[in-house]
Order: sequence, then C-alpha cells, then structure tokens
Amino acid sequence: MIKITDLEKYYKTEELQTIALNKLSFDVKKGEFVAIMGPSGCGKSTLLNILGMLDDSDGGSFIFNGEEVIHYNERKRANIRKHNIGFVFQSFNLIDQLTVFENVELPLIYTGVKKAERKKKVHEVLEKMQIMHRRKHFPQQLSGGQQQRVAVARAVVNNPKLILADEPTGNLDSSNGNEVMDLLTELNKQGTTIIMVTHSEHDAKFSHRIIRMLDGQKVIENSLI
Amino acid sequence: MFRNYFKIAWRNLLKNKVYSFINISGLAVGMAATIMIGLWITDELNYNDHFKKKDVIAQVYQSQAMNGDVGTGPAIPRPLEFILREEYADNFKHIVMSSWEQPRYLKYGETNIYTQGNAMQESGPEMLDLKIIEGIKDGLKEKNSIMLSETSAKTLFGSDAAVGKIIKVNNLDDLIVTAVYNDIPENNSFNEMDYLIPWKYYVTKQPWLENAIDRWGNNSFQMFVQINENTTMEAVTSKIIDVKKNASVDEAEFNPQIFLFPMQDWYLRNDFENGVQSGGRIENVWLFGIIGLFILLLACINFINLSTARSEKRATEVGIRKSIGSQRGQLIFQFLSESFLIVILSFVFAIGIVLLFLNGFNNLASKVIVFPWTNIQFWLVALAFIIVTAFLSGSYPAIYLSSFNPVAVLKGAFKSGRYSSLPRKILVVTQFTVSIALIIATLVVMNQIQFSKDRPVGYDKEGLIQIPVMSNEFIGKAEVMRTQFIASGGAIEMATTSSPTTNVWSNRSGYTWEGKPVGFQEDLAYTNVSYEFVKTLGAKIIQGRGFSRDFPSDSLGVILNKTAVEYMGIKDPIGKYIRDADTDVENREPPLKIIGVIDDIIMQSPYSPVKQSIYAFDNGGTASFYNLRLNPEKSTAKNLEIIKNVFKKNFPDTPFDFQFVDEEYGRKFSSEERIASLARVFTALAIFISCLGLFGLASFVAEQRTKEIGVRKVLGASISQLWLLLSKDFITLVVIALLIASPFAYYIMGQWLQKFSYRVSVGWDVFAIACFGALIITLITVSFQAIKAAIANPIKSLRTE
Repeated sequence: MIKITDLEKYYKTEELQTIALNKLSFDVKKGEFVAIMGPSGCGKSTLLNILGMLDDSDGGSFIFNGEEVIHYNERKRANIRKHNIGFVFQSFNLIDQLTVFENVELPLIYTGVKKAERKKKVHEVLEKMQIMHRRKHFPQQLSGGQQQRVAVARAVVNNPKLILADEPTGNLDSSNGNEVMDLLTELNKQGTTIIMVTHSEHDAKFSHRIIRMLDGQKVIENSLI
Repeated sequence: MFRNYFKIAWRNLLKNKVYSFINISGLAVGMAATIMIGLWITDELNYNDHFKKKDVIAQVYQSQAMNGDVGTGPAIPRPLEFILREEYADNFKHIVMSSWEQPRYLKYGETNIYTQGNAMQESGPEMLDLKIIEGIKDGLKEKNSIMLSETSAKTLFGSDAAVGKIIKVNNLDDLIVTAVYNDIPENNSFNEMDYLIPWKYYVTKQPWLENAIDRWGNNSFQMFVQINENTTMEAVTSKIIDVKKNASVDEAEFNPQIFLFPMQDWYLRNDFENGVQSGGRIENVWLFGIIGLFILLLACINFINLSTARSEKRATEVGIRKSIGSQRGQLIFQFLSESFLIVILSFVFAIGIVLLFLNGFNNLASKVIVFPWTNIQFWLVALAFIIVTAFLSGSYPAIYLSSFNPVAVLKGAFKSGRYSSLPRKILVVTQFTVSIALIIATLVVMNQIQFSKDRPVGYDKEGLIQIPVMSNEFIGKAEVMRTQFIASGGAIEMATTSSPTTNVWSNRSGYTWEGKPVGFQEDLAYTNVSYEFVKTLGAKIIQGRGFSRDFPSDSLGVILNKTAVEYMGIKDPIGKYIRDADTDVENREPPLKIIGVIDDIIMQSPYSPVKQSIYAFDNGGTASFYNLRLNPEKSTAKNLEIIKNVFKKNFPDTPFDFQFVDEEYGRKFSSEERIASLARVFTALAIFISCLGLFGLASFVAEQRTKEIGVRKVLGASISQLWLLLSKDFITLVVIALLIASPFAYYIMGQWLQKFSYRVSVGWDVFAIACFGALIITLITVSFQAIKAAIANPIKSLRTE
C-alpha cells in the first residue's frame, strides 16, 4: 500500500539545517499494523505528516496505492487524503465549537456524502465506539478517553484504508489508553491499515511490526508476528 | 456544508462575546453612517426630480464683465424676452418670464396670509407640470387671476371650493382664483411658491416695471424656458449667447453673455467663477461620499484586525479541517461565509440605528428623508453593499487564516512570525490617519465659522428688527409710523431701507465723479435709506455725518461706505458729487452730494469682502423694510407686543410679520454650520469606530502577553512600567498616523478655505488640539486593558501555563 524510498526532509533555520528524514525507505502492506518508535526528534512525526500528505518531502519517492504522490499539489493531496486516510492525534484535535456528532460528521461533509447517509454513518460509528449517548455534547464536556474515542470515530467514519495515529494514547491514562488500542486493533482486524507513532513499548506490542528510528533513519525493524 | 459553516460562525459569535460586540457594533455603526450618508446623497442628487421635464427646462442666465471681473447670475433684462420670441422661437417650447419669489398679502374675508409666490407668464404652470386639483391649467390667462397652492387655498378657504373666489392681494387688488395646484414637494425648486399671479398683472403694478420693457440695462427679472425636443441646451446657448451684446450698444462694453442654465444643475452646480461653472453643493456630495466610504473602511479594518489577531485561536480548527481533507478554497469560503453572517447581522442593526437616528439626522442636515422601505432599488443597493462590505472585511482574514500549515498548527508550534502583525499595524495607522484628518478638518471648519462670526459687522445687530413693508398700503406712512413706534416706547428709533440690512437687492452703475478713471466700470451696491439710518443701525460714521432733518438738501445726499471711497478713488469725499453719467440731459438724475462715509457694514456674505456701497436718501416709495431699534429698557417680548399693537392699529388687516436682524444674519452661516455639524458627527463616529478596534486589539495583546506580564511582575516590574510596555506600541502607531494626517489635512483644508475671501489661517493650535486629543483618546482606550493586565495577580497568569 505504501512504499517510500530514500525519503528526505530538512528543516532550515537562519543558521543551521537539521535533517529530519535521512534517505528513509520502507513499505507497508495493506492490512498491516505498523508501529514507529524512536526518541524525540528522530523524525517520527515528520514521517507521519508526510505519509498523511500534510507535509512535503525534500527528496525521495512516496508511492501510495501504486501512485507516485510526491509531486502532487495541495488540491490533489487533499483529495487523496479525504478519501483514504484517517488521523488520530495525541491531543485529539476536536473542534471545540462542534458537538461530538458534528465533529464526526465533518469528514463526510468534505467527501460530499448526503445528509441522511451521513446521519446513518455517524450513528453507526458512534455506536461502535460506545459514545452514542454523548453525541450532543461538546468536546470540553468529555473525558480524555471519550474525546479520543470521538477522534477515532472521526478518523474511521469515512472507512479510510489507512489510519495514521500520532501517539494516540499519549494523553490518556492506562485504562483509557488500552481501550483506544483495542479499538485500533479491532479496526485493523477489519482490514484497515494502521501506522502508529508511539513512545510506548506497551502500545507498540499491539502492532505487527515495529520500525525503530534514530536521526531520521531506520535503525532496526522487529516483526512481532 | 453551509449549515456547518454558519453553525461554527454562530457559536464563535456567542463564545467570544466581547469580540463579537466590537465587530458587530463597529460594523453596524459604520454601515449606519454610510447608509445615512447614502440616503443624504440620493436626496441631494434627486433634487428637482418632481419635474418630469427637468432635462429640457432651463433658466436663462447672464454673465457680465466689470473691470475684468466676470459676474454670473439669473437676473436678465425684459427686452430679452421679445428677441427670443421673435428670432429664436423655434428653439423653445415655452418661454416664461418670471418675477423673483416675493411675499404678498392674500386676504379672503377675515383671513389674511403673508406668503411667497411668483408672477409668471401663462405657460409657466404647464412648463412646470403643476398638478391642478381644482380649476384650469392655464389659470394665468386673465390679468386679474391668481393660482393658489393647496396649502394656501386650505388656509384661506378651509375645505370650501377655491375657484371663483375673489382674493384681495396686498390689500389693493381683487384677483379671482382660477386654479389650485398640488404643493410642490420639498427638495424641489419652487417648493415655497404658494401662489402664482399673471405676469401681465405684475408688470403694470409699478412704473419702473413697465419702463423696463426696453431697458437692456435693467437686469431685474427671471426667465425660464423649455427647449424643443430636437435641440440641446448647448446648441441653444450657442445661438443666443450674444443677443444682448448685439442688441444694445451701451451694454456691449460689459460683454454680456446669455446662456441656458439647465434645471439639472440648479441645485448642485450653481457656482460660477469668472463666468465658468465651478461646482457648488456637488462638492459636499463628494466630500460626504468620501467620508462615508472612509467610515465604512474603518469599520472593516476593525473586522480584519480582530480576525487576524485572533488567528491563533482558529489555527487548530484550520489544521484539523485540512487534515480531514478540506481544501484551501473550502476554508476561504468558510471564513467568508462567517464574515457574511457578521455583516448581515451588522446590517440589521445598522438599519435599526438609521431608523432611530433618522429624525435627528434630518434636523441636522435640514432634510426630510424618509426611510425607503418600498424602494426596490434601495434594497438592491443594500444587497450590493452587504456583499462589498463582507468581501472588504472578510477577504484578507479568509486568505490569511486558510493559509496555515496544518502540521505546524496541530503540533501546537504555530507562532505568528515577527512581521505577522505588520499589516495590522498598517491598518491601525490608516484608521487613525483618517480619524485625525477628520478631527483637523472639523476644527478648521468650526474655526472658519467662528472667525467669520466674530468679524465686526459694522453695526449693532442685536435688538434690531425689520418689518417688511413691500405692499402699497405702507407707501407714505413711514414718518407717521416712526413717530408712533417711538412714542409707544417699544422702539427708540426707526429707519426705512429699500433692502434688508442683511442683503443687497440693487446694484447700480452709470455714475461719474471727479477723478473717475477713464473706462472704469463701476458696480455699486445701492440702498435707499431714511434719515435715521445710521443711528438706528448703530453704524459708525468715519467722515462727515448721517442724513439729518436739519439739512433739507440731504434729500439729494448720499453716504458711502469705506470700501466705496477706496474703490472709487475719491480723495476728501465729503461735499463732492456723484453724478448720473447719462448723456441724455433730460433723463439725467440730479447729482448726489456725498455727506458722509460710514465704516463697512456686512450686508452680504460674511466670508467675502464688503462690497462698495452707496446709501442714497429715500425720497419716498422705495422703502421695503422698517428697521426698528428696540427699547433696551424693556424686554424683547414687551417691545414686540407694543410694536405689534401700533402696527395693528394702523394696518388692522395686515398680518404683523418681522425678523430679528441678528437671526437673519445668522442664517448666512447655516450652510457652513450644517456642514460643520455633519462633520462633527461623522468625525465622532470615525473616532468611536477606531477606538473600538484599538480596544479590541489592546485586549488581544494583553491576553497574548499575560505570561510575559506575569514573569515581568514576578521579577519586579511596577504597574506603571507594565502599562507603558503595553501602551507604547499603540501610541507609536497613533504618532505615525498624526505625522501622515497632519500635512494631508493641512493641504486639503487649505484648498477648502480658498473659497472664502475672509478666512482663518490654519494655525498650529489646530494640530496641537488634534494631536493631544488623539493621544488622550488612545491612552484612555488602551490603558483600560493595559492596567487590567498589569494589576492581575501574576501567580494566576503563570499557573494557567
């Protein structure tokens, strides 16, 4: 599903240039659950942003579903993103002014799904995430675990082929964290490819494969299955 | 999608009440001001719209050169009519000679009214398209007829039929009512024309009117024309321009030019400079149009500044939306729809504000503007106005907000760049530049009015009244009335004049005097006065004396004003003669002996130099006003009561009408005072809107720097140091605005003052006041937030991190 080759990314300030990704290469197959680990600043989040087509790379190749996407403009990338990729963030990133229902509904609006259909899909996913009873609440009225469940619901409502999770349990206590990991595992079992950045060895054990990074490079790869 | 956008916009409005209030109230006030100015401009531009034929109606004007100065005006000589009718008839549908609008007494039974009207030729009512509600349109056919406006007919006859009734005019002639026409609405020429009498009746009333029939030099009449459809104003003008010059050898030396002045220009473009049309009220239309746009711009700037300043708060939302798949165009659309929502809400409030203040505005602007609820055009313009305002205020924030990089904002690493506040600063400077320029302009206008008001008028205008005595019944009664008024104790002196003290009704030329330069074309303001003129007015004698009953020869005496002596170049004027230059000895008037020189008295514009004037003795028959000096030992009300009694005793059937001379004089400032009042209001609004924006920005900056303030406070900063820290940036911006606005306003107001000969100079004090005022206002606005932030407990602000 994903094949990156010699991917490069630099950050430049006035005085120095930092290498975030240094000729990084790996692939992810359809239906895989991959965890990316490494110390702070090793380039994990940068990688995830490029995979999510939120950021550009400075070199290399990125093939998504057999398509080279590295030189696509913003409009094209937004289009691929909204139909194929769901995001789960450490800080949930829900829109404060929208209710749970409206937050989850948002990706469907952008993909042009009809209203009745949207309602059905949102209800389904909220049921699945066991957050239906909170659908009229605003994010600030929910606990962290509930917020992350909403965020996951939002990420999957469009049935994305790929979920990119950036430390999804980072802001949660262990029981809420486990709940979210169970959710992701379940989604993966149903066929969704998941790439997760994490600091937690515990969380990483839920995946099929761990890619460990240091200074923008892959240093080791452990298969867990 | 739309619903989602509006939902977010609406919830944002509710969540951030202070910002919403600033945004909406600022925009609403700005829009209300712009709407009111728009209504005022429409009203000005629609002047004379009542006349369907305004495209083809014109007044005949004349330019004449005197010593190189070209004067232009509507006064024309009678014989012009005959030449136009005989030689140029195919150019005109109607030619209508008219008198000046003049008050007359109209009496029916016990009811006697004193009201304005004109004498016109027969086709006047048809040309003006008067709507006849009773009687016939050609009601001026018979010499002894009169047409009445609806108002005057109602006053005289109540609900009874008017046509066929006989009215006594000026207590002298019986005229039969032939028609009643609808009142001509305000905002149109002739709107005070309460009656129309036939021209052929009018011209037989006084010998000088009859004699004027072949006098090319007697410019005492008006002429209105309707041109034929197959021609143009310019084409007709080019044919008739030299008719007077060619017809009269005597007049040719003044190079008279006859031209058509279209009805469309009467109101807005009636200034002439050296014979060339040079604007008029249209300048005010432009001026206020620009002010309206500026005020709207100021309100839009608030919106732009607050939206971009608060961008960090919206950054996460932008990031999330982009990561979910929103394209930039969709985000731009979203933010624009938010600005639409705010603009529409503001517009609704603006309409409320307009309705609330329309009456006050009408009073201020001397208008009777009605809110155009049913005017589709108005609502279409309003729609366009909303769209333009929404784009003006929403585009930049929409483009700016939608440009955020989702990676950066979602990481929480979003920080405005070092220069990100630069556009905001530029916009604040723009706002204050406009506001300060308006402050300076308003101060200059007010100074100019005060300066002209403080100008010595040359007589004592307080405690002086004038009673119009222009009808025949007053002829020959002046001496008796003077004796009675003084004996009654209501007045201490009285003099008659042929013009009001506050105007000149007659100008004369055709004189000669010792030392008159060859070829000099004099133009003298001419007024007939009675014995006690100098004493009654309290004018100041510079040389010689006033008219005196002790000198019988004073009946052929004349008094000059100071300017006339200089203008005519007469040395040692007392005892010298001014003679009629007529070569025809038999027609020549007797020479006038100069018996005195008085200090200039302002009879015309208080903004212009006093015209060279001569005051000749009134030998009877020319008095138009009784001027009475009220008794200073009694109250004005008492004096008026006594005077009215004396008047009524002598003229029981004539309404007692009078004017206070100081009030009449005050009217000369009304146009400029109106501009000043409007300018004051709009300046205040501009300052209000700018301060509202500044207040919003100050609170934003204070909020943004809460942590910094906390740290500084913990490290020992005093409240005043913190206040200075938060205020100095804004003060710097206002100082920059001052530096830009001052020379700009200095130049513009310098140009404006050019139109007044008697004008104030734009002094440093105006700039000092504007500077001081702007800084004080800024400090007050900004300090509230600065002090609030500075006195907050630092532990609290640091804990929130």
